[in-house]
Amino acid sequence: MVDAFAYVPAVVLLPFFSFLVALGAGKYLPKGGAFGGIAATAGSFLLSLWIAATVAGGRAYNETLYTWAGGDQFELTFGALVDPLSALMLVIVTLVALLVHVFSLGYMNDEGETGLPRYYAGLGLFTASMLGFVVADNLLMAFMFFELVGLCSYLLIGFHFREPGPPSAAKKAFLVTRFGDYFFLVGVVAVFATFGTAAFAGEGSFPALAEAALAADGGAGVWTPGGLDVGTWFTVVGLLVLGGVVGKSAQFPLHTWLPDAMEGPTPVSALIHAATMVAAGVYLVARMYGFYALTPTTLAVIAFIGGFTALFAATMGVVKDELKQVLAYSTISQYGYMMLALGAGGYVAAVFHLTTHAFFKALLFLGAGSVIIAMHHNEDMWDMGGLRSRMPVTYYTFLAGSLALAGIFPFAGFWSKDEVLYEALVHGLNEPLLLGGYVMGLLAVPVTAFYTFRMVFLTFHGEPRTDLAEDPEPVRWNVKGPLTVLGTLAVVTGFINMVPVQKVLGLEGIDYLHRWLDNEWGGIAGLSSHHYADIGPYSSGSLVGGEVGTVLVGAAVSLGLALAGLGLAWRLYNVASPAEHTAKLGGIKDVLYNNYYLDELQVWIAYRTEDVAGGADVFDQGIIDGVVNGVSSVSLAGGSRVRRIQTGLVSQYAAMLTLGLIALLVLVGVNGGWFL
Amino acid sequence: MAAVAASIPPQWYLLLAAGVFSIGLFGILTRSDALYFLMSVELMMNAANINFVAFSLYYGDLTGQVFALFVIALAAAEVAIGIGIILVLYRNFGNIDVTVPTEMRW
Repeated sequence: MVDAFAYVPAVVLLPFFSFLVALGAGKYLPKGGAFGGIAATAGSFLLSLWIAATVAGGRAYNETLYTWAGGDQFELTFGALVDPLSALMLVIVTLVALLVHVFSLGYMNDEGETGLPRYYAGLGLFTASMLGFVVADNLLMAFMFFELVGLCSYLLIGFHFREPGPPSAAKKAFLVTRFGDYFFLVGVVAVFATFGTAAFAGEGSFPALAEAALAADGGAGVWTPGGLDVGTWFTVVGLLVLGGVVGKSAQFPLHTWLPDAMEGPTPVSALIHAATMVAAGVYLVARMYGFYALTPTTLAVIAFIGGFTALFAATMGVVKDELKQVLAYSTISQYGYMMLALGAGGYVAAVFHLTTHAFFKALLFLGAGSVIIAMHHNEDMWDMGGLRSRMPVTYYTFLAGSLALAGIFPFAGFWSKDEVLYEALVHGLNEPLLLGGYVMGLLAVPVTAFYTFRMVFLTFHGEPRTDLAEDPEPVRWNVKGPLTVLGTLAVVTGFINMVPVQKVLGLEGIDYLHRWLDNEWGGIAGLSSHHYADIGPYSSGSLVGGEVGTVLVGAAVSLGLALAGLGLAWRLYNVASPAEHTAKLGGIKDVLYNNYYLDELQVWIAYRTEDVAGGADVFDQGIIDGVVNGVSSVSLAGGSRVRRIQTGLVSQYAAMLTLGLIALLVLVGVNGGWFL
Repeated sequence: MAAVAASIPPQWYLLLAAGVFSIGLFGILTRSDALYFLMSVELMMNAANINFVAFSLYYGDLTGQVFALFVIALAAAEVAIGIGIILVLYRNFGNIDVTVPTEMRW
């Protein structure tokens, strides 16, 4: 019997090989190396399915594969951790990456783009880094792959580097996420200093040690700076790591890079938003949830940031004119929901929303890509209209994705978003901060439905508003295929976790995701949702009518609000020739359109802190580099003087030999006392 | 013959060897002709040989003479290589003056 877990490294390495192949030999291969990438991601996908099946068979995997630095106190290792969470994520990432590769055939190759080997190399490395991040068994390894993911996003967002926009967007994405990662790095060091290990799972893992330290009085066994209270210190560490999460998952206030990242090719956007980069942040919190559940303050911060971001980003999505911009803000908003769920103790809800969102957001981006192909790369929704009858496959799949995004029953997004809000509600009844997050999340629901369907109606309904929309370019199988697969998933994924149905009808065991993440089939002790609930700070409350009543009221409210938003969009934009209603918002429109002037604020802050940066530069260039350059120029100058004794005249060498011999003789003589 | 040689005190042999060695060294330091170099080196080696043989005689031990034979063989080999170098020198520079080729300086 061959062990599936032996192939965990292969899942990561296959896309990495496709990166090497595309980089080294891409220009000699057909389609610029696309088939290598497709084969590699397909292989990874199949292996991931096998691994997931093995996990379902009741086993898990937590091994250190390679120690790259060992010492007395720490060991720095690479390892693989496969439990229900990472197995699920492996399947999602490889599936979306595979579909994105296939879609790229239509979006990049058929459109005659240049530099395709570079593109496919980037996709391969991107997928490989994310998979490495998913299976990482310790925080340091996770950090390294986290950074690799950031690098790949830089490479791919800046793919069209000859135009002015993409390089600057790529730089922005890199710098803003780096800003968060800086805190993450400090957090990793803090975890090492505190616990002496950064392992995620097992007896000696840092969540387990943290739990033990909190249980023991006075926090025995862990180091804290200056004898700080253990709980306080854990909160600080949690917030430091959270910095990286906020940057990568585009939460307020570090979300500004994400809308600009739309400059990248559309399949890349799909990959970034659905499965790789942005998902990395949320996944990290879920991965080390055993640690976060111990620090109520951090959880409350996560929930509040999440709820705020969900509402905040949704309002900006309302006024955007470009298809991909709307989707970008919806991504920020949806990840806000996941953070809200994590902060509210809804570990399963967050993973559920991550899963469904991965599918419907990948679908929406690929659908947008299909529209963009058809519109010859014009993304302005006001130039579209009436595409429904001209590209039905794209329309119906896009519609499925939009219904899921808006949270309309029974599409995938409804189930997951409802569960997120339900968790926030039942736990928030006793926690004011959480309740604030819940209210904001709830307010974002109609806004989400409104901007989603504004987008759908403007793009697909009504009369064509330009000649381009009148006669769109047809798309081929390689676009329709991935759309169909994802469209189906956007409809059915919600059924893996129908908690409301279970609670209301009293059916047992149809909440498969709950059971999956609760190690019901297999997993690693201490990494189950039950365990997280046990150590978490929250207790559930309920509204009128007990649990069933709360479920029904929660679902009815969120569905009703979503339908209200949809209805408003229908009234305003589902007409033959819709007008811009945003002008009615007056001054608010400008504020929303300019993203609350947050970009300007960040630039302003950057200018205010110029002197600090200048000082650091002077220190770096003058002191640090000065010492290094000084040492080298001294030896350079000394060398150029001393080398002059090499005259090339053999007689002089002989004379020097003789002089040296005489000097030695004199030295030995003096020491030996000959001359005394 | 051997009795005569043995009757001479060893200091004289050493003085003779030091004199021959100094002549060789003087040749190397002052001459610029490569052939003189070769001959001067030969003188210095033979100065060493004189010492070997003299001490061999003085101690009644044949090891020193054996080493003298080794040195003679070594000198022959050295001359073969030295002549080769001089030939190349002549081919490249047209003469065998060692002050002319200074390409190996800094």
